Amino acid sequence: MKRFDLIVIGTGLAGLTAARTAIAMGAKVLIVGKGMGALTLFGNTVDILGEIPPGTEMAEEITRWIAAHPKHPYARTGWEGIKSAVTAFQELFLPPYHFAASGRGNSLLPTGAGTMRPTWLIPVTMAAGAAMIPAETLIVGFRGFKDFQGDTVSLHLKCRGVTLSLPRYGMEGLTAPAIARLMDDTSFRERLGESIRQQMAGERFIGLPAVLGLRDPAAVLKTLETVTGARVFEIPMLPPSIPGTRIFHRFREELIAKGADFRMGHSVSGVMVQDGRCEGIHIPNPPLVAEYRADRVILATGRFLGGGLWAEMDRIIEPVFNIPVFQPGERGQWFGERFFDPEAHPIHRAGVVTDTDLRPVDAAGQVILANVWAAGSILAHHQAIEEKSREGIDIATGFLAAKRALAS
Amino acid sequence: MDLKTEVLIIGGGATGTGIARDLALRGIPSLLVEKGDFTSGASGRNQGLLHSGGRYAVNDPDAARECITENRILRRIAPHCIQPTEGLFVSLPEDGPEYRADFIRACGAAGIDTLPLSPREALAMEPCLNPRIIGAVQVPDGAIDPFTLVVENARDAESRGARILIHTEVTSLIRDGLRITGVHVRDRITDEAFAIAATWVVNATGAWANHILRMAGLQIGLALSKGSMLITNTRLSERVLNRCRPPANGDIIVPNDTVSILGTTSMRVEDLERYEVTPEEVTFLVDELSRMIPDLKGERFTRAYAGVRPLLQSEENSDDRTISRGFALIDHGSFSGPVGLVTITGGKLMTYRLMAEKTVDFICERMGLHVPCSTHAQPLPGAGHGHTLKDRLLRLRRQTPAAKGELLCDCELVPREAVDAILREGKVRELQDILHRTRLAKGTCQGGFCVYRLLGLLNERNKTDVSGGSNRILKDFLEERWKGIRPVLWGTSLKEEELIESIYKGMFNLTAEELHPRPNPPLSKGEGNLPARLGGGEA
Repeated sequence: MKRFDLIVIGTGLAGLTAARTAIAMGAKVLIVGKGMGALTLFGNTVDILGEIPPGTEMAEEITRWIAAHPKHPYARTGWEGIKSAVTAFQELFLPPYHFAASGRGNSLLPTGAGTMRPTWLIPVTMAAGAAMIPAETLIVGFRGFKDFQGDTVSLHLKCRGVTLSLPRYGMEGLTAPAIARLMDDTSFRERLGESIRQQMAGERFIGLPAVLGLRDPAAVLKTLETVTGARVFEIPMLPPSIPGTRIFHRFREELIAKGADFRMGHSVSGVMVQDGRCEGIHIPNPPLVAEYRADRVILATGRFLGGGLWAEMDRIIEPVFNIPVFQPGERGQWFGERFFDPEAHPIHRAGVVTDTDLRPVDAAGQVILANVWAAGSILAHHQAIEEKSREGIDIATGFLAAKRALAS
Repeated sequence: MDLKTEVLIIGGGATGTGIARDLALRGIPSLLVEKGDFTSGASGRNQGLLHSGGRYAVNDPDAARECITENRILRRIAPHCIQPTEGLFVSLPEDGPEYRADFIRACGAAGIDTLPLSPREALAMEPCLNPRIIGAVQVPDGAIDPFTLVVENARDAESRGARILIHTEVTSLIRDGLRITGVHVRDRITDEAFAIAATWVVNATGAWANHILRMAGLQIGLALSKGSMLITNTRLSERVLNRCRPPANGDIIVPNDTVSILGTTSMRVEDLERYEVTPEEVTFLVDELSRMIPDLKGERFTRAYAGVRPLLQSEENSDDRTISRGFALIDHGSFSGPVGLVTITGGKLMTYRLMAEKTVDFICERMGLHVPCSTHAQPLPGAGHGHTLKDRLLRLRRQTPAAKGELLCDCELVPREAVDAILREGKVRELQDILHRTRLAKGTCQGGFCVYRLLGLLNERNKTDVSGGSNRILKDFLEERWKGIRPVLWGTSLKEEELIESIYKGMFNLTAEELHPRPNPPLSKGEGNLPARLGGGEA
């Protein structure tokens, strides 16, 4: 039996942030998760609050916004909390592959649907997308790669588009990870850059699907920019997400290097609760069940997609601790009449309610377990999809939960 | 553009296309108009059950006999639309042995083969069944694909000279004294209005029968009964499962390729354009059917849908009007209505061919023609071409070079080439037309991934020249998809929904504001070839 200062349940961005924050504070950490989290599905940039219009000062607006949303997870962290957490995130991604805001407010980046989307921190491989001028941009798609439809992007952005054929490696239909691995090969990307150059008609920007390599994306970017003489940018597309996978890999590398116990592919089968505290967790390791003890636990298991919440026909549950979940009405009221309702679907407000320190509380506001904190999208009263706040909530609450947990 | 024909058929469901084919086989010119696409009504919104007739054997022997006769005919003429799964009538303790005995007797009288099974035998055949069953009876039920059935009837009719106009709505009937001499129609995509002159007008609009009849100041006694169904993500049983009890709600499970369809309910509806599956119906179906399959509650449900049955309410003049119990052929001229207008309604998918036969027999008789019906003997054109999952997989494997085998839809294995072939045919006019003709968007993700890809292909073919571009079509699709998904959002389906919302509203930032009031934007004609702007784009 092993004993830790902190067990983090969940290997998404919130859990990774919590584990890294704790490691940086010198704690002995176990992080355990079923899979790679929503990061590898939609992780591209770092959203803080897309609702705030580009061109307005984020710091000022967000403080006002938080004051108007007192139940929101950001109300626990405040703008200062978001800022220090995001700064710590940026410090993990040093140049050349770094994340930066392109101004003092949100920037608009092109997407795989040819729309523009507001976001805050942008990886270097996407930065030129914020500056692109449609008339001077060429969108490049790949034949047989169905998760990025270049014609859709170029038509909506009013750019020129081309579809290139990639040498096929015995594959029927290309996948994002397969192309990303090809990009890691220098001679491949040089040849690709040359093919693009031949298609150019004076464009200064080139947009590609977000598959510019897993190992060294900045080098892929550099090769393509050198060969084409244009500024190159990645465009987010259907899952899986290569940029999100890079974020995941960077965190894992850092955590393992700093001595965290990193357990991927395991779900928690039980928790040891005694006298209002969680003493440890069970992880099935067939035919045995392993027991891990810790002084503190952070629950960062995500929402429905990640398995942090589960909807039965008549109620929503939290499967690990069976913590009461705030839920908006009966099943018939969970979703609006239209997919694109002007208001977010009520179910998105569902989640775990906490005290100001991020400890889950019951309906009466009483802390349920003295040494359990919750972080990330499992928290109630945010609408990450509509607000465009997914990464901001994960990073800010993961950071705060670790700080609060280790301070106790 | 004004047109002329001998018989004008209104309605592109099984009955209407069946009539077009029957007329064509007898050499009578016809023109069919359908306001949406084929199978937009009950023909596309049923449980896909090839009835043995067992369900009606005890209470309605005539209907049972009709079913088993048509069952045998359909197996002959449309084997590619049928999965001969067989079916079980399962008795739970609360259903009792008496009904089972009556059932076996009544099936025998109707000519339906039965094979009584002990609980042990039934459980060995269908291990998902409730172990408390007291017995089962096997009958020749099956699964039928109404989409292929209807499209093939239409294609065969067209190849024999019939004309078919989809997305063409009747706006009024043309009347000359006591006669109906044609219809005014409107193309719902181009808004073009024109007239079609005809000697006979056949109202084969099913639940919409009174909608057409009101244009002539007529009305028939028709009750509109909504039936709701649920689709599971996996196939629960090998055979059709029925409760062995008097027909009721929530007592049939029909397997279909890789899924099962659970049904059904019956609720009166008033508005044919606005009805939905309620959460109460969903809860009822899951609760009731889990008596037969106890593990049902843990299943993933991918979609819910409802259809509206046109039920004949009264039979005030029952002589020559009522050909059989289930459906009615009404010659309005014989009942102080205008001459030249015939309504065929009621009935069920199983009897579409018989309904067509009786309608065309009647028209032939009035025309003084003596040409016998041959739809019971002439197989549909696709008969003999395998349509099973196994056949689809084999075809996919044979496709070379590799690029041709590129799949747009990973759930249902729809190759890009299959969609291209439909586009080349030139008959589809909007996104849903493509979806009706392929299995795109019918799988686990319900189009969450493949429709984005399909739109990329359409953009490549310059077929999305509508205001708002392909994203408008995409958003309208997601809205349409929502109607089917929303009722089953819990458990795993809810996880999937979070994924889809995260992609389209989150990552692609599509929002409500640009939604247009018109439901289905058309595809532009475009070119079949690669647009010039992409020419030479090969590396």
